[in-house]
Amino acid sequence: MPTEPPTPPGSTSPEDGVPNAEAHHAWRAFAYLLSGPLLYGGIGWLLDSWLGTQFLLPVGIVGGMALSLYLIWFRYGTD
Amino acid sequence: MRTMSGNIAILGYGLSAIGPGIGVGLIFAAYINGVARQPEARGMLQPIAFLGFALAEALAIFGLALAFVFR
Amino acid sequence: MSIVALAAESEFEAPGTSTFWQPLIGDGAFAITRASVVILLSVALISWLLLAGTKKMSVVPSRKQAATEVTYDIVRNSVARDIIGSRDFLKFLPMLFSMFVLILVNNLFGIIPPIQYPTMSRLGFPLVLALIVFVVFHVVGFKKHGFIGYWKSLVPSGLPAWIVPLIFFLELVTDLFTRPVTLALRLFGNMFAGHILLVLFITGGEYMLVNGGFGLKIAGAVSFVMAFVMTLFELLVEFLQAYIIVLLSALYIAGALADEH
Repeated sequence: MPTEPPTPPGSTSPEDGVPNAEAHHAWRAFAYLLSGPLLYGGIGWLLDSWLGTQFLLPVGIVGGMALSLYLIWFRYGTD
Repeated sequence: MRTMSGNIAILGYGLSAIGPGIGVGLIFAAYINGVARQPEARGMLQPIAFLGFALAEALAIFGLALAFVFR
Repeated sequence: MSIVALAAESEFEAPGTSTFWQPLIGDGAFAITRASVVILLSVALISWLLLAGTKKMSVVPSRKQAATEVTYDIVRNSVARDIIGSRDFLKFLPMLFSMFVLILVNNLFGIIPPIQYPTMSRLGFPLVLALIVFVVFHVVGFKKHGFIGYWKSLVPSGLPAWIVPLIFFLELVTDLFTRPVTLALRLFGNMFAGHILLVLFITGGEYMLVNGGFGLKIAGAVSFVMAFVMTLFELLVEFLQAYIIVLLSALYIAGALADEH
């Protein structure tokens, strides 16, 4: 039975010791890119419709994208 | 006289998707080149490739989100 | 479809979402549409092909058995075993193989002449498949890490404390919403767009050939050539989409099974 490489200490991403870890990283990074603007843009849009403002939706989209990029950098951009 | 009707936001999204498409292609072309020349460099090049991909794709996703927002 | 009456019309009806609604019996939500008949036909065809391919199995395979073995090996070796790992990939192999064969045959029906209707271009079918994968990979994660531990493993260690709730919601949304929805939408979008392209080129070419002046007749002929090229491209896309959906399902299952710290 082939052994999988052990999870290196201080690893910042799940699925680090798994075979094909790069494929996992790539698809997760893409999923973060989609979900960040979607979630925080959605929250911004809901707040907009409750409070009657106009600017919270773009703030949510950009903020969500910034958070996603930060998470991608934290998980996969540093070592 | 026939007319065409539609939404210019989708046209704008289509145009704005050209840039990130080329950008991501260039990034991964460089990554493939680097790994092909020196396979041991794979671990070092990979974080850079992912970061570059994320930054280039971010603009494409902005375009997609805003195409729906400004319908 | 108004293709038979097209020569008498003066307007060209561009394909849209109504091109896909083809009820055969009844109407409304419980109609028997062409998509349901085609998918039942595909299930019958797949069962017949697989049973015929494995009827008298020998170590030196006959041609039918070899063809079945090639398809099975793609899913078993290069997808399931390489990604999930050789320890517990056999549990998930039936689901992955069935999904692959079902999606591939249904996609191929989109370009085979008597049928020419990709059933995966109706959102309901990819949605159900994505839902099945969604349930499977979350249940696998729960059984491996326990109910609470599964959610705790979403946030990486080493983050500043004030950002942890934001990142947790982000991770939650990717695992619960983005992953299954993109799985379904990727397949649906590719099949939908490919079918619309083919219908546009073919009906547009026919319209231009029949009702046009000389220049438009040339454009109609070119449109038919483009339809042929797009059919070949659509063949490639169909194989690729079936492979990618199975690859991603295996990736999600492997991710849930991984020993996260």
